[in-house]
Amino acid sequence: MILRALMLKEWRILLRDAHALAVLFLMPALFLLLMAMAMANINLDRQPPLDLTLQLTADDADSRFFQRALAAQLKTRSFTVIAPDSNGSAQTTTLQLDGTAVGEPLQVRLPDDFSAGLLDSEPAEVTLIFPARTDAASRQQLRGAVQIALAQTRLMAFLLDSGELDEDSSEQERLELVGKRTANRIVEQELLASGDLAQRANATQHNVPAWLIFGMFFVMLPMANGFQREQANGTLLRLRCMGLGLGPLALGKLPPYFAINLLQFALLLGIGVWALPLLGVPGLSLPGSPLAYALLALCLTLATCSLGLAIAAIARSTEQALLLSGGLNIILAAIGGIMVPKGVMPETMRQLAEVSPMSWALDAFLTLLVGQGGIADILPYCLRLLLFAAVASSLGLFLFHRRLRETQWTTHY
Amino acid sequence: MIELAGVGYRYPGAEQPALHDVSLTLRAGECLGLLGANGAGKTTLLSLISGLRQPGAGQLRVTDGQRPGMVPQQLAFYPELKVRENLELFADLHCLRGQIRRQRMDWVIARTALAERLPRQAGNLSGGEQRRLNFAIGLLQPTALYLFDEATVGVDAHSRQLLLATVEELTSEGHAVIYTSHYLDEVERVANRILLLERGQVKLDLDTRALLGEQHGLLLKWPGALPEALEQELLAMQLPFKRLADGWHIEALQGAELARLCTLIAKLPELPSLLRFGRPSLEQLYLHLSGGAL
Repeated sequence: MILRALMLKEWRILLRDAHALAVLFLMPALFLLLMAMAMANINLDRQPPLDLTLQLTADDADSRFFQRALAAQLKTRSFTVIAPDSNGSAQTTTLQLDGTAVGEPLQVRLPDDFSAGLLDSEPAEVTLIFPARTDAASRQQLRGAVQIALAQTRLMAFLLDSGELDEDSSEQERLELVGKRTANRIVEQELLASGDLAQRANATQHNVPAWLIFGMFFVMLPMANGFQREQANGTLLRLRCMGLGLGPLALGKLPPYFAINLLQFALLLGIGVWALPLLGVPGLSLPGSPLAYALLALCLTLATCSLGLAIAAIARSTEQALLLSGGLNIILAAIGGIMVPKGVMPETMRQLAEVSPMSWALDAFLTLLVGQGGIADILPYCLRLLLFAAVASSLGLFLFHRRLRETQWTTHY
Repeated sequence: MIELAGVGYRYPGAEQPALHDVSLTLRAGECLGLLGANGAGKTTLLSLISGLRQPGAGQLRVTDGQRPGMVPQQLAFYPELKVRENLELFADLHCLRGQIRRQRMDWVIARTALAERLPRQAGNLSGGEQRRLNFAIGLLQPTALYLFDEATVGVDAHSRQLLLATVEELTSEGHAVIYTSHYLDEVERVANRILLLERGQVKLDLDTRALLGEQHGLLLKWPGALPEALEQELLAMQLPFKRLADGWHIEALQGAELARLCTLIAKLPELPSLLRFGRPSLEQLYLHLSGGAL
């Protein structure tokens, strides 16, 4: 009865504290949305927009075949080819890719004797012209696409010459046949849940868990503040005089904050999954077992609430509680890869990040979201969080007990 | 009800004990007015009686083992909760159930006139209403001993009368009460026994009537110059008196002496601006006993 009453009291106070709710829900949600939108172009699966001009010297079947083969190759490389067909000029075709790049377009120039030299052992040169702004990855992608398109065009010429391909066949039929003949079965495997996942996470995969963790750790603030208020207004004195000790007072505080933390976890993940796509940002997908997410939520909640208890017991006033919980949260976030992804940090800072429980939680999230890991993969991070929770709660309970023993009968006269 | 025998307490690191050899027995129906200057040991004594601290020396025994109900000086409730929610919370914490719970709730709500304020958030109540809620929560616990520490600070005259009447009711119903306040007129009204602490020791422990009823005095004040004739008369009568800036305070005055002085005063060209005869107030007595020292 006593424990239930204390928990209900804490729950009611928390739900009526508009500032605490804003800090716990609104602030991380805003951070999540704003930062996900601001960083939307980081580590995207699609290629950055490029303008590409294909210069044809003759309007012949081989050049047109090359054009289609090149467009198909660019598509397989995640370039979005919007208008692969001729733009009307006999000599120039623009493969307009997604987006509008500024300045001179990238050019693929076919030689005059392109068609005639296809079956030669040393075919004529194809020229690629890159504007200086073109990044190395895009150059490499285009180089590969052109090489395969050229090989396919030469194969098509060979098949026609050998009679294996009907002269009357359509361009589409030729492309399909050549495609089948040049198709390679390459199975690409990756060692999941390993390596530097922070560098591979896109904006959504980083920002949703990062600000979720940040928001969850802010539970320290209302916890510490509530305890200070109880002590300052004499309620703690009244509770102590009623004979309530460490057990009910500590246990009465923790479950409501546990619940709030779990609610934050679900709500902010929900924003990542459903709200971000509405804003044009890639939505969050949650691969793997729901149990892994549940385990992570539990460990994270234990860590945040334990730290909250410790801060509540350390602070001596509401001002101290605010400074300690807010300041510590920001420091842990700054060094833990929340504000700046660890992937862009120098090595020393990445090593420093390992001391932050926020970093452990974020690594566990990335293992699930990016590394496609499971419970076994996040277990080391969860154990670290549990160890942290054990240390923080032990310290918190020790200090809390001492504070309770020191409760003064205060008079102001 | 409660018995202290040779109780002492020294705070860690302190050279002098906060309480030394305090013996006290408080019985059912007694209301003890606890007085003392700052640092006299009142807070420590309340801490020990409330169970917040354990005596370092001596014995403290509560007859029925119950913890006392207490109304602290601070507004010790949750301002975010409604009045009813606060009362229900503390009723739950006292494990009150069923009919006892209902009766107790109804009683404290009636005694503190909070019935119309039950749905309101405690933090939005007026200062006096908040004080009444603080009072009500302290009374929720059915127990033999109640501690009131500056329980009426900041309340209006009507609320004060209501709360003091409740304290008197508790005493008349056979509960023991320890009442401490810097409004000594309140202590004088509700307490039937006065305990004065000085430097951690009991300086005085007397029945209130016995303490206040021994001596009567006369307070005289003049708007202008003090009449010399009256001072000559006071000296001639060998009455103990204290000269004030604007008058005299004459102590230990008997009826015949009063009549003689009044006859003289009536013949004076200027009448006094104040003439008060009676037993001294607790405040006067306290100032006298404590020597006026801070």
